[in-house]
Amino acid sequence: MDENPGLSEEYRMASPWPLFVALGLPIAEVGILFGLVPLAVGGLVLFCGAIAGILREAEYAASGWRALAALSLVIAGGGLALLYADGATESDLVVRAYSMVGAGVLMFVGGVGGELFARDAEPAI
Amino acid sequence: MEITGQLLLTVLMGAFLLGVAAFLARVEEWRSYTPLGAGGGAVGESGYGHAEKPAGLIRWFTTVDHKDIGLLYGAYATIAFVVGGLMVMLMRAELTTPATDVLGSATFYNSLLTSHGITMLFLFGTPIIAAFANYLVPLIIGADDMAFPRINAIAFWLLPPAALLIWAGFFPLPDVLPAQTAWTMYAPLSAGVGNGTQANVGVDLMLLGLHLSGVSATMGAINFIATIFTERAEEVSWANLDIFSWTILTQSGLILFAFPLLGSALVMLLLDRNFGTTFFAVEGGGPILWQHLFWFFGHPEVYILVLPPMGIISYVLPRFAGRKLFGFKFVVYSTLAIGVLSFGVWAHHMFSTGIDPRLRASFMAVSLAIAIPSAVKTFNWITTMWNGKIRLTTPMLFCIGFVSNFVIGGVTGVFLASIPVDLVLHDTYYVVGHFHYIVMGAITFAGMAGIYYWFPLVTGRWYQRSLAKAHFWLWMIGTNITFFAMVLLGYGGMPRRYATYLPQFATLHQVATLGAFMLFVGGIIWIYNVFVSWMEGARVESGDPWRLEATNLNTAEWDWFDTKRETSLAATDGGEDVQTDGGQESQRDS
Ligand code: HEM
Ligand SMILES: [Cu+2]
Repeated sequence: MDENPGLSEEYRMASPWPLFVALGLPIAEVGILFGLVPLAVGGLVLFCGAIAGILREAEYAASGWRALAALSLVIAGGGLALLYADGATESDLVVRAYSMVGAGVLMFVGGVGGELFARDAEPAI
Repeated sequence: MEITGQLLLTVLMGAFLLGVAAFLARVEEWRSYTPLGAGGGAVGESGYGHAEKPAGLIRWFTTVDHKDIGLLYGAYATIAFVVGGLMVMLMRAELTTPATDVLGSATFYNSLLTSHGITMLFLFGTPIIAAFANYLVPLIIGADDMAFPRINAIAFWLLPPAALLIWAGFFPLPDVLPAQTAWTMYAPLSAGVGNGTQANVGVDLMLLGLHLSGVSATMGAINFIATIFTERAEEVSWANLDIFSWTILTQSGLILFAFPLLGSALVMLLLDRNFGTTFFAVEGGGPILWQHLFWFFGHPEVYILVLPPMGIISYVLPRFAGRKLFGFKFVVYSTLAIGVLSFGVWAHHMFSTGIDPRLRASFMAVSLAIAIPSAVKTFNWITTMWNGKIRLTTPMLFCIGFVSNFVIGGVTGVFLASIPVDLVLHDTYYVVGHFHYIVMGAITFAGMAGIYYWFPLVTGRWYQRSLAKAHFWLWMIGTNITFFAMVLLGYGGMPRRYATYLPQFATLHQVATLGAFMLFVGGIIWIYNVFVSWMEGARVESGDPWRLEATNLNTAEWDWFDTKRETSLAATDGGEDVQTDGGQESQRDS
């Protein structure tokens, strides 16, 4: 690349994650709003996975897997809140609540599993 | 049926996620994980390293460089402008005759109307400003990049999905109809009650898309505030911060207070539509609540759209007037004043809704007051040109066009701010004329001034001068024909947002369509000129293409350009990857 020294040229200037944060959010929104389970779960996994990736990359989190597990708790918590709200309203929130809880469980398992199994692939510091 | 649908979705979603995982694995392989650190810590690599950015298309999908993201915003805004422009050309064609002879259906007209407004404001207006701000603010204030480069990329990438959702109703999807709520989305129509089609999912998708674009704008705003506060070079103090960055800072502040509110209101509307809440139902919060929330966002939004273009004018116009900006300090103060006042005028959009007359009067007072800082700016631009050595380059022509159109747009606005006048003119074409003088005649003109002015900076090439001038004159005349005809239509009592009209309005409508056609031709010339010149325009031969040194009006981004030219002349490394970005191309063989 014939980029030139100037101001910002001396920094690493690529990251694969932002695109997927931005794709995950709308997919999850559409999925949850219309109660489409695959979209809700897949979108949430994509969204949280990419956020975990960014947190790892920016060194806000030491391990992306652990970040994912932490995020999964937030999502599952949101799902439980919806489940609670379902009792209080007339509209049917159950499917939406369970897809959020499900996505949370999935990511928690993924996060813990990744932490246990994939960690040694990285250089031990 | 239900089950197979879900199954199909699951399979598609699974396949998509696998694809993403595979893509990430490939990209990760290329990367050596030299982490960027929170705010972008220095890695100390040579600027010529090929490792910094992957090549080809992947570079554009993964970039977090503010200049690349600026270009992405620019390309996105251009596409949205073309889409919104084609939509309105269909509408203007329809309006050549009093009946719906051309499109055949008022429903389709209403869909176009809604989509045109939302596209132009949220998918063209906000992004084109972000394009300039991303590319230029870090260069001008001497920052290495934006404060949060990845958030910057997220903010951009939220926009393409937003556009797809907003336009979803026009795609050939079964049972998805376009929204016909107009850009203001007034309840109860937008809440989907009644016998119309507006309970359709197409409207939900549009609201979601709008919500996303708001998230994007908010993330961008936080980023600009952080950048301007913390990333300035040492020699850039508050006292000598440039006018463009000031307007971006103020705009970001407005976004920070306005867009989250729009987001919340949209969520409430979605809840009303899908989950039986009654925020905006007559038996609940009431439709007027929507209007209050919407305009508390909506009026600041118009200033969100106009302040940075004013900044571009204040920045560019003095370069070709051969003088410094007259009364710089007061231009900054008036920017801040507008920023504050713009939150106190929203109910001037609701004068005729039957709100308390005492409230109305106070909103009238503040609305009249906001004209003062706007006028301060106008007088400052005029006095900057007064007795100056004016060079009528294309960017300067667009600057002068801006001032002229802004005067008409502003003055028509002041009349609307007066309650008795507004009660007569509200919801007529006069209002449409008023705000188009500003959104087209001023905001878009400033965008064009910026595009032509920084074209050499970004591409290293020149645009074709005569085509650019033809573009300007077609637009200047076209804008005034189209929108002055609308002002007159409004005086005549022609209501806005109708596909049909009484025969007595035919002539003025045809005149407006004629003007719109000139805008259309000018737009084609512009696209052609930018595209072709980017590919094969004459190369810029100096680091100071506008000869600003002669009048001592040079600015930091041209110094950057000069350094960049010199280093690439010295170190011709013949970069081998062919990019769509001509900025690099120009250096390849220099
Ligand atoms: C000089 C100060 C301005 C004043 C006093 C003013 C006043 C007004 C008033 C009172 C209305 C409501 C008309 C009605 O619906 O009955 C209005 C509408 C509008 N104005 Fe302005 N305006 C000003 C500047 C601007 C600027 C700078 C912009 C754009 C950047 C703008 C954009 C709009 C838009 C989009 C509408 C129409 C909203 C709608 O109903 O769809 N105005 N203006
Ligand atoms: Cu207003």
